[in-house]
Amino acid sequence: MMETTAGLPLYLVENIEHRLSEHFELRVPRLVVNRGESLGVAGPSGGGKSTLLSLLAFLDKPQRGRIMFNGHDAWYDKSDNSNKGVTHLSQEPYLLKRSVFDNVAYPLKIRGRYGSIKKKVYEALDMVGLKPNVFASRRWYELSGGEAQRVALAARLVLKPQVLILDEPTSGIDQTNALLIKEAITSFRKAYGTSLIMASHDTLWLAGATDRVIKLFDGRIVTTESANLIPGPWIKQEKELFAKKLADERLIYAVTPPHSEATGILDPSDIIIALEPPMEVSAQNILPGRISRMTARGKERAIIVEVIVADIPLSCRVTRQGARQLGLLPGKEVWLVFKASSIRWE
Amino acid sequence: MDYILQGFLEGSRLLLAGDNETYTVVFTTVKVSSLSITASLLIGVPLGFLLGYFEFPGQRHIKTVVDTLLALPTVVVGLFVYAFVSRQGPLGELGLLFTIPGIAIAQTILVTPIVVSLTATAIESLDRRLRPTLVALGARGNQILLTSVMEARHGIAAAAVTAYGRAISEVGVSMMIGGNIKWHTRTITTAISLETAKGEFALGMALGMVLLLLALIVNAMLIALKKKA
Repeated sequence: MMETTAGLPLYLVENIEHRLSEHFELRVPRLVVNRGESLGVAGPSGGGKSTLLSLLAFLDKPQRGRIMFNGHDAWYDKSDNSNKGVTHLSQEPYLLKRSVFDNVAYPLKIRGRYGSIKKKVYEALDMVGLKPNVFASRRWYELSGGEAQRVALAARLVLKPQVLILDEPTSGIDQTNALLIKEAITSFRKAYGTSLIMASHDTLWLAGATDRVIKLFDGRIVTTESANLIPGPWIKQEKELFAKKLADERLIYAVTPPHSEATGILDPSDIIIALEPPMEVSAQNILPGRISRMTARGKERAIIVEVIVADIPLSCRVTRQGARQLGLLPGKEVWLVFKASSIRWE
Repeated sequence: MDYILQGFLEGSRLLLAGDNETYTVVFTTVKVSSLSITASLLIGVPLGFLLGYFEFPGQRHIKTVVDTLLALPTVVVGLFVYAFVSRQGPLGELGLLFTIPGIAIAQTILVTPIVVSLTATAIESLDRRLRPTLVALGARGNQILLTSVMEARHGIAAAAVTAYGRAISEVGVSMMIGGNIKWHTRTITTAISLETAKGEFALGMALGMVLLLLALIVNAMLIALKKKA
């Protein structure tokens, strides 16, 4: 199997249309995920992240289009349907009403893999930082939310899957548990070369933990960069200029939105960071903000700087050299400069 | 008031002395209700599962009918079954009237709706994340069904206990189909009603105590089971 599919992408998604309600439809004309690659999926709630992940996990069948997995049309090629080696962890994982050990052993048992089951389960618990001796015999109701999340992750890792699909693996849990989950995911990938497809609100962590990030908004892949999304309402100013009012009464200017509620897309590379408000520039938007976070971008030699302007976080891309020259640090007050025409529309 | 206390003391004496007649009645009751509860679980759990798990046209109506049958009066079940198994009835030749299997069949009809309804409710109230979780973990077909039943096991056990309680405590069916024949089809409830009518409070009291004790044992078993599983 591996020999014949070595040259093919892991996933080839073509022309998918999947309608969930009158108001929401996921549309993905094309998406390729390569073997061993790690793909981040970002975007606001309701943007279609979970829908895309459940399609890629084969939990739901796309209403239109097809998903080629290892070169096979996964929903029609029955021979490849039994065990694809894809496992999915949902946003609010559900634990079976049995012990921690039985929860982690369940996916092995239903596959009839009874060999050295105890060793495998204990290994998986170790990976997520749960001491097997303490936790294996715990009942499902004797766990905190974060511990339950880690047990659920262990139940996925125990299979040593080819593809690990994680939907918001750290949402709604405390920092310590979130950190342990992040560590487990990173070290698991390193050890087994598993392909990872992961959605998260934590865009900076996502950017650091994955090779590339796609952003979904309103059911569409709006960009393959970590673009900023600026929602409306946009109020008409002079000529073709429109503005969004921020919490501190300052305005973000944009040019001719398609309608007043449109969401603007601002590429992080289009924002310039300055230490002082620049004089005599043609750019309409000169906004003060404070750096909240900085993260090194996966394989590229760039730094993503998150700046909070009034109440909205804007990601800016700078080179490492640029960041060093400006002495950028979290907490530092900076000015962001970008053209009104840099805000594009979907 | 004295006679109540007298009855209680005499009842305790009968039980402790191992009175043959008393214990025959107790064993008959346990035998009949065990037969009927086994049959009703075999029929009711799969039906309840189908009703609670799948969505199909008319499902709501069926659920309403089943829920209505929960309030089935025992004498009505007794009447219908009597009509079928009496000498001139369509099943008269089987000779079920005034026999233990006869009572068990009628009790099964009486308590199966309880098993169906409570099982369906238990399955319906399973977490909606269960199915996608099982699919994501790689479970297929029967594995999903079996695991779903396992997840609803507490609700199904509660259904069984409720049904058993109804079976051991009912009097209408046992009286009409069993005929309250001494040493043969006399159950605890029919015996109590007869002995009370005769003014024999002691035996009635003794049997009443046993009935309560049985209910207590069954519930204690359920609690122990819940703790373990």
